[in-house]
Amino acid sequence: MVPVQWYLLLATAVFCIGLFGILTRKNALLFLMSVELMLNAANINLVAFSAYWGNITGQTFSLFTMALAAAEVAVGIGIILVLYRNFDDVDVTLAKGMRW
Amino acid sequence: MVGAFDYAPAIVLLPFLSFLVALAGGKYLPKGGAFGGIAATAGSLVLSAWVFLTVSAGNAYNETLYTWVAGAGEETTRLTFGLLLDPLAAMMLLIVSLVALLVHVFSLGYMNDEGETGLPRYYAGLGLFTASMLGFVVADNLLMAFMFFELVGLCSYLLIGFWFRDSGPPSAAKKAFLVTRFGDYFFLVGVVAVFATFGTAKFAGEGAFPVIAEEALAGSAAEVTTFGFAPETWFTILGLLILGGVIGKSAQFPLHTWLPDAMEGPTPVSALIHAATMVAAGVYLVARMYGFYALSPTALGIIALVGGFTALFAATMGVVKREIKQVLAYSTISQYGYMMLGLGAGGYVAASFHLLTHAFFKALLFLGAGAVIIAMHHDEDMWNMGGLKERMPVTYYTFLSGSLALAGIVPFAGFWSKDEVLYEALVHGLGGSPLLLAGYAMGLVAVFFTGFYTFRMVFLTFHGEPRTEVARDPHGVRWNVKGPLVVLGILAATIGFVNMVPVQDLTGIHLEFLHDWLAHGELSALTAEHYGELLHDYAHYTSADVASYVAGAVSLALALAGAGLAHVLYNVPEPTEHTAKLGAVKDLWYNNYYQDEYQIWIATSVVLPLSRLADKFDQGVVDGVVNGVSSVSLFAGSRIRRIQTGVVSNYAALLTLGLTALLVVFGVLGGWFV
Repeated sequence: MVPVQWYLLLATAVFCIGLFGILTRKNALLFLMSVELMLNAANINLVAFSAYWGNITGQTFSLFTMALAAAEVAVGIGIILVLYRNFDDVDVTLAKGMRW
Repeated sequence: MVGAFDYAPAIVLLPFLSFLVALAGGKYLPKGGAFGGIAATAGSLVLSAWVFLTVSAGNAYNETLYTWVAGAGEETTRLTFGLLLDPLAAMMLLIVSLVALLVHVFSLGYMNDEGETGLPRYYAGLGLFTASMLGFVVADNLLMAFMFFELVGLCSYLLIGFWFRDSGPPSAAKKAFLVTRFGDYFFLVGVVAVFATFGTAKFAGEGAFPVIAEEALAGSAAEVTTFGFAPETWFTILGLLILGGVIGKSAQFPLHTWLPDAMEGPTPVSALIHAATMVAAGVYLVARMYGFYALSPTALGIIALVGGFTALFAATMGVVKREIKQVLAYSTISQYGYMMLGLGAGGYVAASFHLLTHAFFKALLFLGAGAVIIAMHHDEDMWNMGGLKERMPVTYYTFLSGSLALAGIVPFAGFWSKDEVLYEALVHGLGGSPLLLAGYAMGLVAVFFTGFYTFRMVFLTFHGEPRTEVARDPHGVRWNVKGPLVVLGILAATIGFVNMVPVQDLTGIHLEFLHDWLAHGELSALTAEHYGELLHDYAHYTSADVASYVAGAVSLALALAGAGLAHVLYNVPEPTEHTAKLGAVKDLWYNNYYQDEYQIWIATSVVLPLSRLADKFDQGVVDGVVNGVSSVSLFAGSRIRRIQTGVVSNYAALLTLGLTALLVVFGVLGGWFV
């Protein structure tokens, strides 16, 4: 059996890729994908610990997280469509009207 | 059993009802609501008489009727309304309701027959005034007394300023309001201090504050908060604070300046408020809580000195005035000075007696002056009168009766009471309180001036040849003017018989009914007997042995001397202004010792700069601190808000940084890196 540390390393790597994407990209679609990566990093953790402790709860929980991610994407796609309609682009730095 | 005491609240409520009626429906009633007022005051008079009879049967009433604030717990301070009906209150009720009734009747002649407008307002004011004065008289605690005291002051303001379209009355009304309010400010502080000290402000009964104060001085009281002072000192301070209100309301030096100006109001108002009743409120208050003042020789000494000084001071100013009502105004101030002298000198009965007689003869004089003013078509200058004696005999003889009483000529009322006041000051002064002798001396000199100015007024107004066309053919007056004058004229001549101590001493006939009336009672802590013990034990007043008729003869001689001088100088067909010979003194007196000028000087040269300074402090320091704090916030906000860039990536970066920083902090604190 693969030790749990490897799963944690994998999850950390996926999470950091997602974070890097959010911090560096301007494209809203890439934003959305990066967020998905971060969510799934969390899912990996849940499943890994679930297997490690022999407890099914964590796996069940990750199913919920997936459903949540699907819903979030639906909303996110809607926002991106509006963004595109208003700015003819999906660059997140263009929409900065809501500030001081 | 239903008795007079069950109906006692109606004494106060009836005039209040007439106030409401006159205010709401006076326009639609005949005579502008006058009949409502007359009926209400007549009802109050009847009820007062009933209460008087019940009290004279040896009963007294001291009940709390309504508690409007009660703290939590058992031993708590309660703010209440209640009635206290003892001999003093019963006597005062009679005086107030009788004078109020007569003034209402007189107003028919003075206001209605003269075609004044705004009568509902006038009668509403009279009704409210009568109600609040009666409420003040029956008050059973200091706070209730204070509330009605203020109401009385309000009515005075409203009625002085009745002719608000002229320039004089509104200004006089404001002055009266502000000057008395200045005194009342001390009174209010005194009321709060009494509550803080004793936890109660009741005048009589179990746990009344004069009783607690007495126990505290005897060393047997449970708990009295004296704020670090010795009880004697602290009680003196309390007494003097309350005395502030008394000095303002009873027009004592230095707060007397409002009363002469208050003569701008209608003459019946002057008679009711500024002579017979409202001004009496101050003196009555001291008499009401005399058990408290009797504990403090210092407060008594100050009362006596202020009173004696005011008596003389005001009498001198009355000598030179040209207007009949001004002379009467100064005589009022002077007579209240006598009452204060009497109270301060330990003459509780004497002062109450003078209060009683003065109420009648001064109301009479003012109403007489009102009749003269009607006759003279509202000209008040005595130098335009003269020779009115033949043309208005009823007014003349009643006015003469009042003048004899005021001057203190035997056997009219004022002689007996003024003489007794002076006698008390003399015997207690000789008996070991030499301070009172100063008050006595001033009072005695004032007797001479009183005799002089009173008869100067009588001779100038009624004797000699008419000096103007109007005086030659005066306007007639009707029954509604003559009736009250006759009633009061008879009273002024005879009311002194209730208490003729010198005659008793000479002949042995029992003639001191007022002494008996006030000496005993169911509420033993409120009797003259008890006050006498207090004065002896705490103020150390002892009486020297002076025959009362000797002292009476001295003051009578002085009064006759004053009246005689006035007779020689002014009872001639064509009198001249002899007072002009006084030169600079006349100017000083005519200008009221420049009292108004120096008070205005105080206001403009002392108070105004101080207020400016306070304003600067407020605007600069207090507001400066507040504004400084807010400008720091504003500046900081204007800088920090710039992190809200509106760019999503920046927010994400800040979130990440924040999370990282939190993790580092937790890590360092939690020792993860060790």
